[in-house]
Amino acid sequence: MGPRGMPLMVLLAVAAAALLAGTLWLWPVLARRGAAFVGLRIALLVALQASVIGAVFVWVNRANEFYVSWSDLLGTSHPAAQVVAVAPGSVRAAAASQASQVTPLASRLVMVPGARPGGRLEPAGRLEKVRLDGPVSGIAATGYVYLPPRYSRARPLPVIVVISGQAGQGAAGYGAPRVAATAAAQIAAGRMPPAIVAVLPPAVAGRASQGCLDSPGGPQAGTFFSQDLPLALVRAYRAMPGPSGWAVLGGPGGGYCALQLATAPSGQFRVAAAAPGTGTAPPGGAAAAGPGLRRQDSVLWRLRHWPAPPVEVLLTGAGGAGQFASLARPPMTVATLGTASPAPGPSPLAAVLDWIGRALASPMAASPGPAGG
Amino acid sequence: MGLTGGMLLVLAIAAAAGSLAAIVWAWPRLARPRPACVAARLAVIVVSQVLVTAAFLIWLNSYFAFYASWGQLAGASVGTQPVAVRQAGTTARLVVIDHSEPGPAQVQRRAEALGAGTEVVPRPGALAAPPTAGRLLQVVIKGERTGLSSGPGYVYLPPQYFRPAYARTRFPVVLALTGYPGQAASIVERLALPSAAARLMAAGRIRPAVFVMLNVSPLFPLDTECTDVPGGPQVESFLAQDVPRAIEQAFRVTASPAGWGALGYSTGGYCAAKLAMMYPDRFSAAVSMAGYYQAIPGEYVPHLWGGSRGYRLENSPDWRLRHLPAPPVSVLATSSWVGEKTLPGTLAFLREIHPPMRGYSLIIRQGGHNFRTWGRELPPSLVWLSRRLS
Repeated sequence: MGPRGMPLMVLLAVAAAALLAGTLWLWPVLARRGAAFVGLRIALLVALQASVIGAVFVWVNRANEFYVSWSDLLGTSHPAAQVVAVAPGSVRAAAASQASQVTPLASRLVMVPGARPGGRLEPAGRLEKVRLDGPVSGIAATGYVYLPPRYSRARPLPVIVVISGQAGQGAAGYGAPRVAATAAAQIAAGRMPPAIVAVLPPAVAGRASQGCLDSPGGPQAGTFFSQDLPLALVRAYRAMPGPSGWAVLGGPGGGYCALQLATAPSGQFRVAAAAPGTGTAPPGGAAAAGPGLRRQDSVLWRLRHWPAPPVEVLLTGAGGAGQFASLARPPMTVATLGTASPAPGPSPLAAVLDWIGRALASPMAASPGPAGG
Repeated sequence: MGLTGGMLLVLAIAAAAGSLAAIVWAWPRLARPRPACVAARLAVIVVSQVLVTAAFLIWLNSYFAFYASWGQLAGASVGTQPVAVRQAGTTARLVVIDHSEPGPAQVQRRAEALGAGTEVVPRPGALAAPPTAGRLLQVVIKGERTGLSSGPGYVYLPPQYFRPAYARTRFPVVLALTGYPGQAASIVERLALPSAAARLMAAGRIRPAVFVMLNVSPLFPLDTECTDVPGGPQVESFLAQDVPRAIEQAFRVTASPAGWGALGYSTGGYCAAKLAMMYPDRFSAAVSMAGYYQAIPGEYVPHLWGGSRGYRLENSPDWRLRHLPAPPVSVLATSSWVGEKTLPGTLAFLREIHPPMRGYSLIIRQGGHNFRTWGRELPPSLVWLSRRLS
């Protein structure tokens, strides 16, 4: 009869009922004077209480499955158990799967006009076309990674992720070659600190997916950007770990993604730049999401209902900063670009990259490292 | 009067004993064979029985540490009342890890507001008094991104943390989570994780590590099942992102996922496995003691998955193993051949594990859903975890 058994509970309940009836019945008999009768009263009451408490304990124990046996309850000796490996696979296999998250497909030098007059082109880093395999999302995406001239695995660099619908288009303003060339020029001119620049399309999970959002029970594009990408770039290029050295820039078709990632609780990015007016989720894919997820997919909803994230945001391009800026509260900061300096000077992309570089180098972005001692 | 304070229990026991004494004393007066007297006998016995049962339940609650306060029992919102911790050789001091208040003036003000004996440490690199058994700190962790607060939690720093030879060592971290309902103090007092770890470290069976012990539900008594509730509290992100980041900034611990493990019992076991599988960029190993592997509805939280079936599935380790790539993490699942209703679910989960994920089992012959069972499983689990963390 175990401490969880129905028989024990029934026995205790019957005993309690019998003891109660007996107590009431024998009451006049035990009312006589004398130590023996007082002792009997105490014994009877204690037995009654104990049987009720016992029944309560068995009931609680049954409901919560606390103790299965008396030895379990009393803590008597048990034979020791062993840890057994149940799934095949070696540590080496697991390590190998982590190492091959970035597969180089092609690589070429990025040329910028030299510092000396004459304008001869000089190499300034290289642009790699890579396949990124996300171990968490399972998404494999083709992207571009620009590595600046003095890149070395010994010195972790900050990362700028550019999400652009034009990522693969060579001639487009936000195509990977133009982005890499602009970054190279800014770095060469000392206007921007060296950084790794990754250029990716927003729809990494194919057209059916809803941009860079996790679709419930479906493609996990959000996980790809917030977890797989940092994991891969930190491992493959020894990039700085997020979020202190990580920025996201939304190009054409990537503005919402950038703001969404900047305001996500996963918090992988400290700096973000996007065109204004890109705060609402792209249509489609919402059927499986349910009302709760749909609500929080709106960047504006997040700014209203969640704590302001510690990010610096630049709203690029002309036009008002709109609702996004009006909803931002500290520690979040919002800056705007584009209205002040129209045509002369560097290209809009160069100005945005400069700003991101400065923000990444600013004290706010620097993570307070642990003190020694 | 506190629910788990010793005073309430003493009063309840005194009332129960007093009622019994009063019955014995008043016995002859109710001995007359009249119906009113018989009714009075029954009444006094019932009253006494209620008092005894109440005392028993109060003791049971303080033993298992289900509910720390009346407010929690009633389902109301909770404050961050410090919990008394008794453990030989260590002292609990309140440390608030709060990065939203960087200035020393604010920190000072905050410490004064929280009362005497409180230490607010934004960068506690300079913790005083290296003790021989390490130090147990009571902490409150504020989530930078999610805005959630851990409630009273604990950080155990091993003795090596204070030794000059380890001054440059970044320690691995184990995030330990309670079941639901539960209190972080149970991990210290009932599971006795810090003392078990201290013994194993002293015996050289595990390498020194920092242990962070938290209630699995920062919004207790809400049962949030470590889920990012759509349009609601982002508990998963709090445990998997905010907490590690706060610990990393406050203590000399490693930032690499290779040095981070999760451990929990019951709901905490489900959460340890789920968090490791969802965040292999943060955790590399997890111990799930008597956990379950399918998302279940939480108590008092009506919309845990925001009305999305797909989102519920994503929160189920079983479903993730069948439909998403296996993450590069190791999971040790424990259960009992006799006495655990989680056994079939545990075996089914272990069968689904495939590379690069690695599965391990620790199934004891007999043991219920209780701290004694988990306490027996703890040393081999910690040894296993230590071998997987670097």
